[in-house]
Amino acid sequence: MSAIVAEHVTKRFGGFEAVSDVSFEVPDGQFLAVLGPNGAGKTTTLEMLEGFSAPTSGTLQVLSADPHRGSRAWRARIGLVLQSTSLDPGLTVRDTLALFAGLYPDPRPVSEAIELADLSADAATKVGVLSGGQRRRVDLAIGIIGRPEVLFLDEPTTALDPEARRRTWAAVENLATTGTTIVLTTHYIDEADHLAQRILVLTDGRIATDTTPAQLRAQAGPATIRYVLEDPGTARALPARLARHLEPDGRTLFIRSTDTPGVLRELADFADRHRLGLAGLEVGPPSLEEAYLAVIDKQTRSGGAGHD
Amino acid sequence: MTDDTTTPATAIPQTAPSGRAVAARLPNPARLLAAQIGYQIRQLLASGRTLAIGIGLPVILLIASKGKGSAPNVAGYAAFGLTITAWASYGVRLVAARESGLLKRWRASPLPRWCYFLGAILATTLTAVIAGGVAVGVAVLLWGTHFDAGPSIQLTGKGTAAILIVFALAALAWASAATAVTSLIPSVEAAFPTLTLIYFPLVIISGVLFSLNEPHWLSTLVTYLPAQPMIAAATNAVHHGPGVPFIPGRDAAVLAAWAVGGLLVAILVFRWEPHRPRGHAGTRPRPS
Repeated sequence: MSAIVAEHVTKRFGGFEAVSDVSFEVPDGQFLAVLGPNGAGKTTTLEMLEGFSAPTSGTLQVLSADPHRGSRAWRARIGLVLQSTSLDPGLTVRDTLALFAGLYPDPRPVSEAIELADLSADAATKVGVLSGGQRRRVDLAIGIIGRPEVLFLDEPTTALDPEARRRTWAAVENLATTGTTIVLTTHYIDEADHLAQRILVLTDGRIATDTTPAQLRAQAGPATIRYVLEDPGTARALPARLARHLEPDGRTLFIRSTDTPGVLRELADFADRHRLGLAGLEVGPPSLEEAYLAVIDKQTRSGGAGHD
Repeated sequence: MTDDTTTPATAIPQTAPSGRAVAARLPNPARLLAAQIGYQIRQLLASGRTLAIGIGLPVILLIASKGKGSAPNVAGYAAFGLTITAWASYGVRLVAARESGLLKRWRASPLPRWCYFLGAILATTLTAVIAGGVAVGVAVLLWGTHFDAGPSIQLTGKGTAAILIVFALAALAWASAATAVTSLIPSVEAAFPTLTLIYFPLVIISGVLFSLNEPHWLSTLVTYLPAQPMIAAATNAVHHGPGVPFIPGRDAAVLAAWAVGGLLVAILVFRWEPHRPRGHAGTRPRPS
């Protein structure tokens, strides 16, 4: 079964096409990340899936229902963590969750939602005095309080510090193990890589690629070689072919090359001549970020509208 | 610290109910409405400002006009407290809730939409009735029931019931109208000026604060607006003459019409989502 089916979905605002002929399916229990730059149509797509707006053309099904006509029962089966909502600052975390729990037929116990969202230390704190990261986790706790079968997360970690992001990820990972279908939008490629099983890249309202993190990485091309010179003084002796890959710090070599063995041989010769141990040499697959940027770049060059 | 355990959950029970099973077990809307009213009242009491202005202003005016009390005078000050609570304070709060994204959060939940705004309107009505009631109570405490300057207060049991009904009807009318009008207000900054600009001319021509010599057409017009009928009905309730009904039918009908009309317009035009600032990164034009 597919929890979500989108067929030829287009959304226009006046003369502006925000989403253009997008089709995809999300099987039950899959964790999908929707990536894309600002204005790519991520939030517009998500708001249609959540039932806030209807497609201009095409059809959408979430849990076998048209989201825009979603009944109360349908709404009780989905969970949302939206970008632009807020909570009453005067209520404590626990009271806020109890208030929302009362809306669902079979809510999680408030204490379980608090635990899942990593909010145990803040349960008795008023929402108004929480940090941005803590508030995002309260949003998450509300999103999951009704035991949703499908959970939508719209940029849940935007503007959070790295530690807060990690904690939110841990909470989301907890949920993913329960078989909940999750759709996440994000700007952060590492977030998609860390959490999702599948990545949909949107640019200019179209699907640029529909892939897995591993496949996306493989599309990116050459491997990367990174080596930091133990003694920056040796940099002057580097052969020209290596020296041009020296980073501005004057000691870090960062090389992307299709001829990995050739580069490594040259580096090994250089190390021999200068008696270097090559400690800390890294040879790795291309970064997902580069792969993502390559996809976006290719898409915009091949005739994207280039708005925003 | 709380008594919650801090160990992360390792195994989470998962249930996958079917749509029909979920529908059968949805909470009863009456219970949801009661919970919403309770929640809204708690919010009003917690902020305190709504009560402070709605109760405080008429009391200050009553004290300032000491010795010049009369039943229409007291009814006017009560109307002032009630309308400021049910119109201005409530309207500003509602716009602030919408623009902050609070309403959208509720809209995203399985709470029936009518439950949210009916809960807010009824909680406001109750608060506004309290504001009006306190004004009448303070007048009686200050001056007793006999006034030199005009008709005295003659509060009987029936009169008290009548004034509560009139206040409730008037508060409902103002709160419903405010709910409808907030859809036209684009930002929190615009809320107070817009609501006040509608409110003050209306209460002044309606004789809430002092009586005016106005042209005939204007004095006829105000009998169709929600302030003057409320004062007329409230005056009648606190100073009840023989042979007059406790709640004058025409005044009650005008207030009820505003309450029903306001609710209908509110249902049609109510806006849940915040207006997004133009030109903000990642935003797009909204559908008209």
